[in-house]
Amino acid sequence: MSARIAVPVFPGTNSEDETLRLLRDCGGDAELVHWSQASSLAQYDAYVLAGGFAYEDRIRAGAIAAHDRMMDSVIEAAESGKLVFGICNGAQILLEAGLVPGTGSIRRPTAAFTRNAPAPHFVCKHVYLKLAIDPARCAITAALPEDAIVPAWAAHAEGRLAATPEHLREIVAGGHLAFVYADSTGAVDDGAIPNGSALGCAGLVNRAGNVLAIMPHPERDAWNFNHLDRREGDDVLATSGGSVLFRSFVQALS
Amino acid sequence: MVNLRDEELQRIAQQLGRDPSVVELHAFDAAWSEHCSYKSSRRFLKTLPTSGSRVLLGPGEDAGILHLGTHDGERYAVVVAHESHNHPSQVVPFEGAATGIGGIVRDVLCMGAEVVAVADPLRFGRCDDLASHQSHVARAVVDGIGAYGNAIGVPNVAGDVYFEHGFDENCLVNVVALGIVNEKDVIHSYAPKGAEGWQIVLVGKATDPSGFGGASFSSLTLDARDAELNKGAVQVPDPFFKNVLMRASYRVFALQRERRLAAAFKDLGAGGIVGCSAEMTGHGGYGAQIDLSGVNVALEGMPPEIIAVGETQERMMWIAPPEFVPDLLRIYNEEFGLPEVAYNACATVIGEVTAQQRYVLQYRERIVMDVESEFLTGAINDELPYTEKIYHGATAQELPAVDIEGIFPRVLAHRDVCSREPLYRRYDSVVRGRTVLPRGAGDAGILAPVPGSRLGVALAVAGNPRYGRIDPAYAAEQAVLEAMRRVVAVGAHPIGLTDCLNFGNPRKAEQYGEFVAAVEALARAATELDLPFVSGNVSLYNEAATGRAIPASAIVACIGSIADIATVITPGFKAAGSALLWVGSRELVGGGSVLAELLGVKGTLPHIEYDAERAALTIVRDAIARGVMRSCRVVADGGMLTAVARLAFDALRAGRKLGAEIDFGNPLCEAGGFVCEIAGDSGMDVTGTLQIGTTIDAPELVVNGTRFDVERLYETWSRPLAQLYP
Repeated sequence: MSARIAVPVFPGTNSEDETLRLLRDCGGDAELVHWSQASSLAQYDAYVLAGGFAYEDRIRAGAIAAHDRMMDSVIEAAESGKLVFGICNGAQILLEAGLVPGTGSIRRPTAAFTRNAPAPHFVCKHVYLKLAIDPARCAITAALPEDAIVPAWAAHAEGRLAATPEHLREIVAGGHLAFVYADSTGAVDDGAIPNGSALGCAGLVNRAGNVLAIMPHPERDAWNFNHLDRREGDDVLATSGGSVLFRSFVQALS
Repeated sequence: MVNLRDEELQRIAQQLGRDPSVVELHAFDAAWSEHCSYKSSRRFLKTLPTSGSRVLLGPGEDAGILHLGTHDGERYAVVVAHESHNHPSQVVPFEGAATGIGGIVRDVLCMGAEVVAVADPLRFGRCDDLASHQSHVARAVVDGIGAYGNAIGVPNVAGDVYFEHGFDENCLVNVVALGIVNEKDVIHSYAPKGAEGWQIVLVGKATDPSGFGGASFSSLTLDARDAELNKGAVQVPDPFFKNVLMRASYRVFALQRERRLAAAFKDLGAGGIVGCSAEMTGHGGYGAQIDLSGVNVALEGMPPEIIAVGETQERMMWIAPPEFVPDLLRIYNEEFGLPEVAYNACATVIGEVTAQQRYVLQYRERIVMDVESEFLTGAINDELPYTEKIYHGATAQELPAVDIEGIFPRVLAHRDVCSREPLYRRYDSVVRGRTVLPRGAGDAGILAPVPGSRLGVALAVAGNPRYGRIDPAYAAEQAVLEAMRRVVAVGAHPIGLTDCLNFGNPRKAEQYGEFVAAVEALARAATELDLPFVSGNVSLYNEAATGRAIPASAIVACIGSIADIATVITPGFKAAGSALLWVGSRELVGGGSVLAELLGVKGTLPHIEYDAERAALTIVRDAIARGVMRSCRVVADGGMLTAVARLAFDALRAGRKLGAEIDFGNPLCEAGGFVCEIAGDSGMDVTGTLQIGTTIDAPELVVNGTRFDVERLYETWSRPLAQLYP
């Protein structure tokens, strides 16, 4: 029996389609679980929280969804060691739920992905994520090479990591800073950060390494046809680019 | 406020044989508004070509449908709709623009399609003063479009924007939406054969007093003094709810397919419940019996006329056989829990289809409306006088010699030429993972709308107000040509057009004449190019209280099909040593160009020769088919040299430091065409084209001996709009 992956759909989720499709194209046994089926969520082996605007991003993105009953199952699963991967709105929810960086307690977040700066607007921009931890530190990134560079699209208005200086120090010291923004060559500089994120942070991992939250969307630059720089002769329907992270996730389940 | 004219009121009373009720008055006010009835435009719109081998559905329902291609033995079609939300956006820009996206998305959804893309042609006043009202409108409209499209998860892949004083008091917010549907699953918006006794189901948000009188208000000349009064006519957007409503509707479509049941589905737009249900039943040859007391409302005690014609957003209507209704209600109300998502939202039965062709509304056991369906929804015409041959005359004036070194950076920084990225960065262009060419990457956006298939669909818009100011007819023809060129330049095959005709006051002969001339021109261009118009919209009364109308704005969208997305032309120069060809008219006249504006001259308009246009298209498509086209951009605002620079910029962004050496008389003229990067050893017959230069292995443009640094030009071009859209 292969591990079963749930993609929970909150009211307002909008990236469930490509998230599901990419998981399946990477060999995952995934399905959507709608909020009206919340009670079935516990029986899955792993969870991918997709992008969107759950509960209209009221208060702060992810803040309401973190208290949705679907999250009771996800929190329980995360604490039991199951893999949980959140992208964009999914990442925001994981922070608000206190699962990542996990330096506080459940539903008492110590950090948030919040309003972009300096311009507080939605930004849709192609970016690169650079792996900033030892790949084995996080089960979901374990199959990536060291310093892996993953292409993705930032598409959010609230993606700036914000926390007190003390909590930011904990994030660094505890090895929670999983991904930073970089350019296509892996060089890290402020110009690559689309949202003013503290530490240049694009993704965070929890202490145990089974919960990963990233802001940009690798699943939107994941098939050859998505790449503006694809080469002639590439099979346009084949997965590539951002799909490496999904492959690594699926591989960790086998 | 009812805007019916005296003669219209008399006609209603005569037909009814009594004074109309309050509900009837408001129902006719909406149904007979210009917005709903097309009363002064219909007779001209009839002249547009609307048929062809690709057309599955032309104008008449909420959206047009074009055959796209076949995948796995299934035939797929694109559904396309094009509308304006100009008046609401001028009064309440954020909400007005957002509900524009909301409405156009429902128009596509209700054909049974999955909504896959939107586009937004925008026209704003001059925003030189960032604190001006025009700048506020320009920012809030973009934020409204972004807020809505981003939340529902539909990528914005095409659009354009111009800033002209002529739009200072009347912005234009046009919106286009694309959907994908398996051809056997199309749902129509009128009750089908055998629908007698079927149930009428209202789905969506609770009806509230917002958007009351919207259709009628859209058909008025805006007066800034009435701004507060008009705000109530604008609807309130709720993209979050729409996100859920769309997904619930997709689920209903799936079940309907499974059970092989017919049904009709339609968006509630202008005229609210009455507008929608009267058309759905009337156009099927039926009547309707509806009880307004059954409508889920947001406030108790609303008068029946508001429930009847109010334009609360995020509502749709099904006409379904009784055996399907329980499932339909279950999906919306339980599986997707609409009542938990928004206050008193739900799907609910409000009436039924009747055989006798009377449209009857009751409210609290009282009949509040009882009219012949045909009288309410049938065609009405206003034959208004118009002035022929509108031409605001550019004179035959020679362009002076230009100092290319000084003027080219000014052209690139011009408000109509500079990078649109600060604006479109606020739109999600890649959500749902099907985007092949996102906003800004090419001259058209491209999607792979059927997961797992190589089929592609391209979308581009055009409509240059600098031409519209001079010659409404010419502007309309160029809009068709440019939209089509854009689709061709990315490697797609143009299959159809939509139009949104934004003009002034039809009750002023000169302004009406501009509209008439433009429609004739659209018909001419579409006929010459053998492309059908499958959907469209008319927005008149874009006139300020001062009597000034907007520049004539026939805005055209072109849809292209791609059999295999592997053949899409990716952005930017690919290699040094390629030949650069200018395909198309190279007439060196500057009429309507950015260059002419900067030089303060008029110039003459370039001629349109359809034989030459067709030949140019053939050359470009042939080069693509033979695999020798390395990159391509259309020549439009900013002229040929701007197109060359854009190709260098695209390459720069992809990390390829390439440039070009060009030798050509005046490279800033805007006679439309293409700049093509062709593999050096193509062996291509370039008769009818002109090689203007070659690509070089350095980030430089060398133009008639003058050297420009591509990175510096890129800076110049990138920055201007970041002031308005930080």
